[in-house]
Parts: sequence; C-alpha cells; structure tokens
Amino acid sequence: MTGFSRSGLSRSGAARPAPPCGTAVGKEHERARSGGARRFRLGDWHAYLFVAPSLFGVAAFLLLPVLIVFGLSLFDWELLSEPEFVGLANYERLAGDGEAWHSVWVTILYVLLCIPLQTVLALGLAVMLDQRVKGIRFYRALFVIPWMATPIVMGLIWYWIFDPRDGAINRALGLVGITGPDWLSDPTWALPAVALVNVWQHTGYTMLFFLAGLQGIPKELYDAAAVDGATPVQRFFRVTLPLLNPTMFFVSVTSLIGAFQVFDTVFAMTDGGPSGSTEVINFSIFQTAFREFDFGYAATLSLLLFVIILVVTLVQVRFFSKRTTYDLS
Amino acid sequence: MKRTLLYAVLIVGVFVSVFPYLLVVLTALKTGVQLSTTQPWEPGLPPTTANLERILAGDFPRALLNTVLMTAALTAGQLVFTTFAAYAFARLRFRGREPLFWLYVATMMVPSAVTVIPLFLIMRQLDLVNTWWGLLVPYLLGTPYGIFLMRQFFRGLPAGLEEAARIDGAGSLTILFRIMLPLCRPALGTLAIITVISSWNSFLWPLIITSGEETKVATVAIATLKGGVGVDYNLLMAGGLIALLPMIVIFIFFQRHIVRSVVLTGLK
Repeated sequence: MTGFSRSGLSRSGAARPAPPCGTAVGKEHERARSGGARRFRLGDWHAYLFVAPSLFGVAAFLLLPVLIVFGLSLFDWELLSEPEFVGLANYERLAGDGEAWHSVWVTILYVLLCIPLQTVLALGLAVMLDQRVKGIRFYRALFVIPWMATPIVMGLIWYWIFDPRDGAINRALGLVGITGPDWLSDPTWALPAVALVNVWQHTGYTMLFFLAGLQGIPKELYDAAAVDGATPVQRFFRVTLPLLNPTMFFVSVTSLIGAFQVFDTVFAMTDGGPSGSTEVINFSIFQTAFREFDFGYAATLSLLLFVIILVVTLVQVRFFSKRTTYDLS
Repeated sequence: MKRTLLYAVLIVGVFVSVFPYLLVVLTALKTGVQLSTTQPWEPGLPPTTANLERILAGDFPRALLNTVLMTAALTAGQLVFTTFAAYAFARLRFRGREPLFWLYVATMMVPSAVTVIPLFLIMRQLDLVNTWWGLLVPYLLGTPYGIFLMRQFFRGLPAGLEEAARIDGAGSLTILFRIMLPLCRPALGTLAIITVISSWNSFLWPLIITSGEETKVATVAIATLKGGVGVDYNLLMAGGLIALLPMIVIFIFFQRHIVRSVVLTGLK
C-alpha cells in the first residue's frame, strides 16, 4: 500500500511546475517515516495544501469573529471613541432592556407565524406531487421559482403588493367590497405580512426536500398498509411521517436557523416598524451596530441570538433522536 | 374527481408562486398615470419602456456591473477552494481529518448574524471598508456548506478510481484534475448555481461594507430607491425586474441543478 502512495507522491511532486514546496515535501517524508506509516500516508501533504485556503477562511472569517463577539460584548465601543472595558455591564443592561426582549418576542412570534405554515404547505405540496402527477417537473420548477428571488427585491415588490391604496391585495379585496387594513403600517398586520412573504419565498424549496424524501419511500409499504386496511390518513401518519423523520429533522433545523435570522424582508418592507412591531432581533442588532454605533451592546445582542439558535437546534436534536429512524437502504 | 381537485390545488400553487413576478413585469411597463388608473394585475396599455430607460440612465448599471463582478469572483473562489478542500476531506487521508471536518460542520451552525459585526471590525482594522477586497474576501475561500455538499459527492464516487490511477503513477493533483473533476461536473454545476444565486442575492454584508459608487451592488442600490416619502413604484419595479431577470434565466436553464442540490445533501 505504502509503495503505491509513495510513487504517487514522487510523480506528482515531479509534475508540479514550481519546486519551492520541496522543503515541505522533505519534512513530510521524515514525519511519515518516523510516525506510523499506516495512518500518515505519503501524499498527505497535498491534503494540507488542498485544505489550507478554506481552513484559513474558516478560521479568520468564522471562528475569529465568534471570539471577537465574545470579547466585544465586554466593551463599550462607539467606534469613534476608544473601546472601554466594562465587564458584564452590557449583560446587565440586556437583562433590563425591555426593547431587546420585545425584539426576542417579535422574533419568536415571527417564527411561529412562518415555520409551521411553511412546513405544512411544503409537505402538502410534496405529497400531492408524489401522486404520479402528470407534468411533475413543470409544477416542481414553478414552485421553486420564489426561492430564486432576491429577498430584498422581492420584499420591495411585496411592499407594493401590500400598499394600502394601490396594492394588489387591497384592490382585490375592494372588488369584493372589503376594505383591507393598512397592512405594513398596521402593528397588527405588519408581522404576519412579513411572515407571509417568507412563507411564499421558502415553501417551494422546502418542498423539494420533502419530495426527495417521499420518493425514497418504497411504494410497497403503502400497498402493504392498504392491504392491512389502513386508510389514506392512517397511511400518512403511520407510514409516511415516520419514514420522513430524517428529512423532517434537516428541514426543521435549517429553516428555523434561517427564520431566527430574518433581516432582508424586514428591512425592505417595514424597516422594523410600525412602532417596533416587526423589529426582529437581527434587525435590532443591525440597528444598534450600524445606526447607533453601539458595537459592544450589538455584540451582546448577537450573542443572545446565537444562544437562542443553539438552544432551539439542540432541542430539535434531542427531539428527533428520541424518535425511531428507519433505515430504508 | 379527486384528481381534478389535486390539479386545481397545484395550479393555484403555481399561480401564487408566479404572481409577484407577473406584477413586477406589469408595473415596470406602466406609466405613473396607468399605475393609478389600472388594477395592479392589468397591463398598462400601451406598455412603456420609460421606467427601464430611466433606471438605466442613472448609476444603476454600474451597481449591476458590480453585482456581476462580485458574483463571478465569489463563484470562482467557491468552486476552486471548495473543490480542493472537499476532495481532501473525502478522498485523502491525513492526520486530523475527522476533527477538522467536524470543525467545519460546527461552523455551519454559526449564524451569519453573529459574524457580521466582527467581520466589519476586522475589515475596518485592515482598512478594507468600502473596497473590493472587503466585500469579497470573507466569502471567497469556500463555505463549509459547499465543502459539505461536495464532500458528499466525492464520497459517492467508486473507491477503486484513485488506486488504479496511482498504480499508473498519477499524483493527487493529476487524479483530481484528470479523473475527479470530469466526473464531478454535475456537482460543480450545482455548487456554481447555488453560489451564483446566494452571491447575487446577498444584501446585508454589501450594505454594511460598501458605501461608494465603486463597490455598491444592485441589491443595495435598489434598497435606496425606496428611501423617503412617496415611493416611485414604477422605477422600483423597473430596477427589480432588471435585477431579477438574470436569476430567472439561470433558473430556466439550470433548474435541474437546484433540484440536485437537494439530493446532494444526502437525504433520501
């Protein structure tokens, strides 16, 4: 085995255009000889070169920022002045900050308006498309088309659709004699409207995952259940749903992570208003950092969001790992 | 009867999906007068290209060009660096491979909302605010998600491939370029499409890191059209139409790649 890889190394080493890596090769040779040759095969130095750029990216632009956020939350920094160490003062401020907790509440409300509806719709559409529908590719394609839309642009388009006077929705309601609300400038309706736009945008793409999951379920299972006298509803809840567990896990984790960070549509449609009724936490973070230049406190807020997302994800891991997963392969 | 109901629901679904796009086209082609005299879903007759001309006469084309450049750079970077890393994680053995890969997977959990502020401060420290490097560099070196997808694909390739090539004396680079890459063209296509879409659509980071004409991208330019009282919907929709059009074209030609991105995550 080692013989193959060794020849592999020398050949590829010779094939390289520039020799400056020579020293690195030498070192790896030595390490490979002294260390366990089986685990550390020759040719491995390539792997480190291959991984290096992305590792730098991960370290500098994902891990380092997380460390910085922790550090930053201990400072008071308005960007133009010098950062001032304040210990846990930002956390104390957060504990008594009604606005921050309001934005947490708005975010949770948004997630509750958005995710259940989106998941049920996506699953429903997937089940329908799985019924040997004619032209399945046509429907599938058009259901996904909202996902392609630039969220900020689509947010502005929906801003126009929700326009109280000339927007499509209130004009259509007017035709049947209903005076629609002011939607985006009405504190009751603004958040549901933003949630609806996100449901519109993400349902089709979510549907793709369910459809792929459904198509992996052997049809014989349904036939067997039907022979045993299971009704279609029973078949759905006793056969389909349990077998979709892995898909459901993936979909729910990723859509919740996304929903907790909603920003673009809020920015485009309401700018957090009216009177803070759509000020989700990610919008508060943006507002605090880049409009009020209160970077230390904004970092504290983003840690709060991080913790919320982490807890929500862990709860789902627990929930789904307790349920039986059936291996179909 | 049941089938009819099924198709009816599907058609409604299609209508809801497409309707906002339709409104963009209709509104972009209306005059200001037609906007208030016609229903939003009716076409303005005769259609006008005045809005499109108006938006193309301003600084919007420059912003559009910037978006194209940004998308091209990020996609190229993503394809190159992701392929190298994913190949190493999937097919090469090296010390620390598993822990390193799990570190990557763990960073997929880090919300972008958390990294935006520190990234801005890093770029400010490096004096890269409002520069191309500042705009591009955090997302140029490949994303953990892309590496995850491509690793799944590489792992699915037959195990004997490299062994046979190595016996013939090929090195890792030769194997990667001559044997692996031709096989992963479909997966690379999928990765490219996903990256093009997410780069084209990106908003928060460009909004924060750029302010001048030099680096302002289309999403930020469109967002500024809404500022102030009395929104010029015609102009807004004309800008939206132009910004959405490339995505629609990509969608029409490459939609199977999007479907494949779902399959690539390895969920059945």
